Amino acid sequence: MNDFYIILTASLVAINCALMGSFLVMRKMVMIGDAISHAVLPGIFIAYYISGSTASLPILIGAAFSGILATLLIEWFTKKARLQSDAAIGVSYTLLFAIGIVLISKFGANADLDQQCVLYGEIEYVILWLKPVFGAFMLPQQTIILLAVCILLVVAVIIGYKGLFITTFDPNFALSTGIAVGFWHYFLMSGVSLTTVVSFESVGAILVIAFLSGPPAIAYLLTEDFKKMLLLACIVGIFCSATGYYAAKWLDVSIAGSISTVIGIAFTLVFIFTSVIKRKAVVIST
Amino acid sequence: MSANTIIEAHNLTVLYGRKPALWNVDFTLPEKEVIGIMGPNGSGKSTLLKSIMGVVQPTSGFTKVYDQELDTVRDRVSYVPQRQDIDWDFPASVWDVVSMGRFQKRGLFKKLTTEDKDIISESLEKANMLGFAKRQISQLSGGQQQRVFLARAIAQQGDLFLMDEPFAGVDIATEEMIVSLLKEMKDEGKTLVIVHHDLHTAQSYFDHLVLLNTRLVACGPTKDVFTDKFLTDTYGGKLTTIAKISQELENKEFPIRHK
Repeated sequence: MNDFYIILTASLVAINCALMGSFLVMRKMVMIGDAISHAVLPGIFIAYYISGSTASLPILIGAAFSGILATLLIEWFTKKARLQSDAAIGVSYTLLFAIGIVLISKFGANADLDQQCVLYGEIEYVILWLKPVFGAFMLPQQTIILLAVCILLVVAVIIGYKGLFITTFDPNFALSTGIAVGFWHYFLMSGVSLTTVVSFESVGAILVIAFLSGPPAIAYLLTEDFKKMLLLACIVGIFCSATGYYAAKWLDVSIAGSISTVIGIAFTLVFIFTSVIKRKAVVIST
Repeated sequence: MSANTIIEAHNLTVLYGRKPALWNVDFTLPEKEVIGIMGPNGSGKSTLLKSIMGVVQPTSGFTKVYDQELDTVRDRVSYVPQRQDIDWDFPASVWDVVSMGRFQKRGLFKKLTTEDKDIISESLEKANMLGFAKRQISQLSGGQQQRVFLARAIAQQGDLFLMDEPFAGVDIATEEMIVSLLKEMKDEGKTLVIVHHDLHTAQSYFDHLVLLNTRLVACGPTKDVFTDKFLTDTYGGKLTTIAKISQELENKEFPIRHK
């Protein structure tokens, strides 16, 4: 049963990240996920300091706030200060992360916040907090939150598909037809922020980035239809979660590390596979 | 302002950082004509279209379309961005791109109707791309990409078309196809504003010209504006080289296309 809980949790993170990551990859801004997952630190600490507890809800709210703050800061640096977007991402998230560290070292001498956990996650511990849902069926608390976010994101992507698609594909044309490109940007960023915040608590910042970029990139190589790319990215994410988990169990290594490695290997294999196919296609057509 | 004015720009200035892209540009353009916007690289041609379409915010001054704010008449105006503005490796089909032309009328949250689909098919047919509807956009040639953009603009069913370099990087066959399509559109009473590079074809394509070099050099009927004086003002020394070459070619009876 523990196997099931852990794979389910990782898969939900994979689906959430795949949905958001596919749009981020096509907008060439996937590292914003990296930025948010680090920039949430001051928000988490302030929420912890004010509420005095490590309960999920206040922490989540604090994290979401600093996540949004990070995206606003990045946007402001790019638009107003005319900084390159990657430089803007670098400046803003290190600033917020550093503020978090300064706050913790000053006020959080006995804080129950584990920085190791922030980076690498502790997915194997999700099973320690089981809660009943629908009566008798037990699910880890973290998994319930991820499931709720997953349902929210699926609905948001289905309803907002056209808006997200057109503003990702051709923002200038979208603007010319009067579409609020800024709204859709923040709509997506809120989703990314939410995803990152609820995911990194269970799987760590590094696996979040791996999930945001890897499965969408693999799906991008395999299909030329964006809807299929979204679906395929989810499937690839789930597959990598399961494979990575069993590999970790077999080799007795970190689960998050193992899943990230599987994603990396999968990308390499798919890349080699598709370039061989393309080369063949070129030979046939010439 | 006369009755048939479709676009008016007043004291339009656009700055990128501290660098002006457009400086104090003033003009009015007539309805139902084919209008060319010409000038050297970096003279603000694309910026002009973008500020008319609200894609770029002017630093000062304003533009009006049909004597109104753009927002009230936006559904009558179609914009064709430069081809290299977008990533053609995007996982999308020709149909996906052209259907974007219907998003404005139908709204972002409603499904496209059969009527929309008919309009998309018709637009593809007009642009000679119906056979490519299912094709992935990464597999198109430059000319086909341009025709997809045109089909998307036609699907918007506007009266005014602003096109950013529709002839850039297309082969002669496509250029001729686009020209005849534009003629057709003009005959239907549409107004076409086209950013263009090729001086040789300017006289035959356009009824009206805007010559731009960050400032407005001249604006008026092609026969009044396409003169040595204005062209030298627009292109500076570069023009004399172009003129000499084309004179030379003409003397040797090279086949230069004069339509």
